Amino acid sequence: MVENNNAQGIVFNIQKYSVHDGPGIRTIVFTKGCSLRCRWCSNPESQRREPELAYNKGRCLGADKCTRCFKACPHDALSRTEDGFVAIDRAKCHGCDRPCAEACPAQGIIVYGKTYTAAEALKVVQEDSMFYARSGGGLTISGGEPLLQGDFALNLLRLAREKHVKTCIETCGMVDPEVLREAGQYLNYVLFDIKHMNPDVHKEHTGMSNERILENFRMLVETYPDLPITARTPIIPGFNDHGPDVRAICEFLKPFERVQYELLPYHRLGTQKYIFLDRVPPMGDLTLDDKKFSALRKIAVATLGDRVHIPR
Amino acid sequence: MSQTMCECRSPQEQRLLDKIEGKVDKFRATHERVFKMLERFDGMKPRIDIERALYFTQSMQETEGQPLVLRWAKAMMHIAKNITVYVQEDQLLLGRAGCDGRYGILYPELDGDFLDMAVRDLPTRATSPATITPEDAKRVIEDIAPYWKGKTYHEALNAALPPEIHKLTYDDPKGLISRFIVNETSSFRSSIQWVHDYEKVLKRGFNDIKREAEEKIAALDPMSAKDMCEKKPFLDAVVIVCDAIVLWAKRHAEEARKVAEKTSDPVRKAELLRMAENAERVPGEPARDFWEACQSQWFTQMFSRLEQKTGTTISNGRMDQYLYPYYEQGIKDGSLDDKKAIELMECMWVGMAEFIDMYISPCGGAFNEGYAHWEAVTVGGQTPDGRDATNELTHLILKSKREFPLHYPDLAARIHSRAPESYLWDVAETIKDGSGFPKLINDEEVVPLYVSKGATFEEALDYAVSGCTEARMPNRDTFTSGGAYINFAAAVEMVLRNGRMKKYGDQVLGEETGDPRNFKTWDEFWNAYVAQHLLFLRTAFIQQHIVNNLRAKHFAQPMGSALHDLCMKHCIDLHQPHIPEGVDYGYFEYMGLGTVVDSLSAIKKLVFEEKKITMDELIKAIDANFEGYDDVRALLKSAPCYGNNDMYADSIGREIDRISVEFAHKYSEKDLGMYYNVRYVPFTSHVPFGKVVSATPNGRVDWFPLSDGSSASHGADVHGPTAVLLSNYNTKNMGMRDRFARMLNIKFTPKCVEGEQGTEKLVSFIRTFCDLKLWHVQFNVLNKSTLLAAQKDPQKYRNLIVRIAGYSAYFVDLSPDLQNDLIARTEHETM
Repeated sequence: MVENNNAQGIVFNIQKYSVHDGPGIRTIVFTKGCSLRCRWCSNPESQRREPELAYNKGRCLGADKCTRCFKACPHDALSRTEDGFVAIDRAKCHGCDRPCAEACPAQGIIVYGKTYTAAEALKVVQEDSMFYARSGGGLTISGGEPLLQGDFALNLLRLAREKHVKTCIETCGMVDPEVLREAGQYLNYVLFDIKHMNPDVHKEHTGMSNERILENFRMLVETYPDLPITARTPIIPGFNDHGPDVRAICEFLKPFERVQYELLPYHRLGTQKYIFLDRVPPMGDLTLDDKKFSALRKIAVATLGDRVHIPR
Repeated sequence: MSQTMCECRSPQEQRLLDKIEGKVDKFRATHERVFKMLERFDGMKPRIDIERALYFTQSMQETEGQPLVLRWAKAMMHIAKNITVYVQEDQLLLGRAGCDGRYGILYPELDGDFLDMAVRDLPTRATSPATITPEDAKRVIEDIAPYWKGKTYHEALNAALPPEIHKLTYDDPKGLISRFIVNETSSFRSSIQWVHDYEKVLKRGFNDIKREAEEKIAALDPMSAKDMCEKKPFLDAVVIVCDAIVLWAKRHAEEARKVAEKTSDPVRKAELLRMAENAERVPGEPARDFWEACQSQWFTQMFSRLEQKTGTTISNGRMDQYLYPYYEQGIKDGSLDDKKAIELMECMWVGMAEFIDMYISPCGGAFNEGYAHWEAVTVGGQTPDGRDATNELTHLILKSKREFPLHYPDLAARIHSRAPESYLWDVAETIKDGSGFPKLINDEEVVPLYVSKGATFEEALDYAVSGCTEARMPNRDTFTSGGAYINFAAAVEMVLRNGRMKKYGDQVLGEETGDPRNFKTWDEFWNAYVAQHLLFLRTAFIQQHIVNNLRAKHFAQPMGSALHDLCMKHCIDLHQPHIPEGVDYGYFEYMGLGTVVDSLSAIKKLVFEEKKITMDELIKAIDANFEGYDDVRALLKSAPCYGNNDMYADSIGREIDRISVEFAHKYSEKDLGMYYNVRYVPFTSHVPFGKVVSATPNGRVDWFPLSDGSSASHGADVHGPTAVLLSNYNTKNMGMRDRFARMLNIKFTPKCVEGEQGTEKLVSFIRTFCDLKLWHVQFNVLNKSTLLAAQKDPQKYRNLIVRIAGYSAYFVDLSPDLQNDLIARTEHETM
């Protein structure tokens, strides 16, 4: 990494007061772009690297009350739907800096993805430093896959540590091992997704095999034996919601004695954002049964004991 | 478990709560006595008991011409002799101000001029209704109200206000309808909130205070006119009122013995005989154990309510401090255990729940919707020596708060920088369990402010929370008048309408600052706002000057004065405008901070800087209440808002605060002889104040409630709770002392505070609140009903963020289907 406080990254959200992604009260910088295409992804706006236009019908005032976006679009990509709202012709929408979103008064048309320099992002993060001081929280970079924008992520992490802001990443592991290795030296905490042990199943549901992920995991644990790492598995119906799936992951984790483990239940709350992006939510109406989830967690505890995080 | 908040608890919410309270409670088994008592008045509409008003009036008729303090003491004696005394089933404490069940009493000295009219309307009015029997209503109308016509404080005030002050205060010549611009609050309470020095009663008893008064009488100089005309009547009044409360207590002893005789159950019989013994002894003599201490406090509190309607009832003070010696001793000698201690305290909570602080005037009712109550029990904080004050009783009161099924008492926890983790964890657990309680008051803001205004460290460190968010030092503070509630959103409207308001037509109420369409710069607009702001402040200060001097002619408080070191030392009633050596803390209210800041921010940015809207367009949109201007409204709402740690908006807020603080600094002590400082605490009054203000440039529609306290406008804070705290901090002028409380409400989804980890994060959040030196905060852990409300009214809840690992979204952006999913989970989590 070349030290550069102005290294640029594309960020789709900076969320304050995050209490479920790392210790204490944290701010999450969500970066865009991911190598995986998990069918259950709850942040579909994070998958592509480049900024994307989204349409939130719930916020749109309707074409009877406001026509500002139609007038602003230079490509004639926006049209009135039969029910009086807005349709985006994504084939026509390209190459402009999206004046339609700027013109929309109601945040009905929004752009996911804004360029920040590492220094700019850290400045926003530091606004809550008083809360980190008391809670042991700090910065979490999430995504997408934060290390895919390696230059930005590494500079942001480096800068954070320079300013004594504690750091954490949420990674899917599908990254350049050198970037991950370099990131390790700036990290106070890591949340590392291990989704499935079977490479074929993994590929079928995420678009990629899991070999590199597992190699990266091993490398990180071995290179930084003192770095607190929590492996996380989102439990997804029809993918890894059977005992053997979870047991296999736990067996893999067992030798890494300092690694903690957490299971996250699938939720459908990201569904709406697929619709904003004119995409079909791949999971449909599938839901996860609470009892099934508890049973899986018990299986994890049987192998890993108190290394399994259980919310109390 | 139920929830309540000091702020807006709408009747709907109240009903929902009542429903929840109807469930079989898991704590019933371990709190059987209090549950039984509570079930007896469950769902009952409060009744009006007229005895206090009747006996008070009878006595006052007899004593005309005598010194007021003496008349008041005699009236208290007349009440003590004649009022019905009650011994309630299952209760372990004696003493109440009216009939069984939930009840309210009347204070005709405050509102006798319209009491007859009010009594007719009371059962059917929309906010805080109450029932009264036809016979009682007749007595009020025929025997009580007529005497007070022409004599009440309210009429005197109405007559005393000069026309230019009157027109911003009242909407009618008689002063019965508020203008809701510079609203006076002194006529529906005889002072702002108060707390007695209960420790003095517990340690010394009223007989010893009477002895002190008699010694002072003996030492008076019979040749001195001042001694004879000012001090003697006061001391005589103290003697009478001490006798009165003791007599009243002994009548309870007698009644308890009578009931005991008729009781066959030996356990209850023994209880009743013990209660009779207690009432025979206290509050005349010092308390000897925990039960007597509770009884002594309770008699004092209830007699105080008979004596006077202090704003928002008499608070309970630092209960975990003054009851502690009795608790400690009882545990030591084995006569008390935790279960018994909780039961006795909960017998007090029941009594508090039964007494309704009635507001007779429609204005008062709207200010305090849902039978609001602020009998603040204070726990935690520091000792007068500056050490941490928490003890076992602190934790016991918090435990009781988690288990007691009603939203009583109003519990306040003092927080300081060295508060132990064990205390903060218990506080956080209680907030989670009880959905909101306790409210938190910050020593790190209150103590230095009080010291800078004349208190000693010892006094300031020993403050008790009183009323909604205020603090009192029972032997140093004085009985200041209710201050003005000022509608600053109306100031914005007056700039847009050249001194007029849509609600009041062509009447010129404010400064004619000119047609805003001709303003070329933001500075011109800002200066016009400042002109209105200053007019309102000037009006409030003149109003207060009149109030302060009038009040002493209408009210006296012999018992409250007997408990005050300085009143006894100088032989002067607490209602007098100035008590020698006292500190006079009072406040005026800034109503609508969020509404005003967001409105000014939108105008500055969109009209003057970015020129996306013309002033003409803005005014047309507002005149049309945004009908046909949805896009303009949406644009206005997109401007930087207060509550997001955005300095664009927050710097406007700080400037607004500065105008108030500087005005107070310049004129309060000099002209009013008191610290008449700015405060941001609306009770529920941001609702009626909103009803006179037309649409505002922050996109708020006609007559919608204003923002409340120092909280953000409805749904405007979209960056989470840390940003809300920081904005609050950003808008304060920390270098000046001319401020009092700021009320701040924060909502959490249960997920944010779930489990042990959630508690830990809440604790660290509270620590940062303390570091930021914010005065007050209270939390509302959302329950299902709130999410349902958000589903129904997404505009109001657009800031509601759902935080789940690795993901975030606004609740209102979810589809109904997903919202239901989340609602179902929330229900699950709260079960």
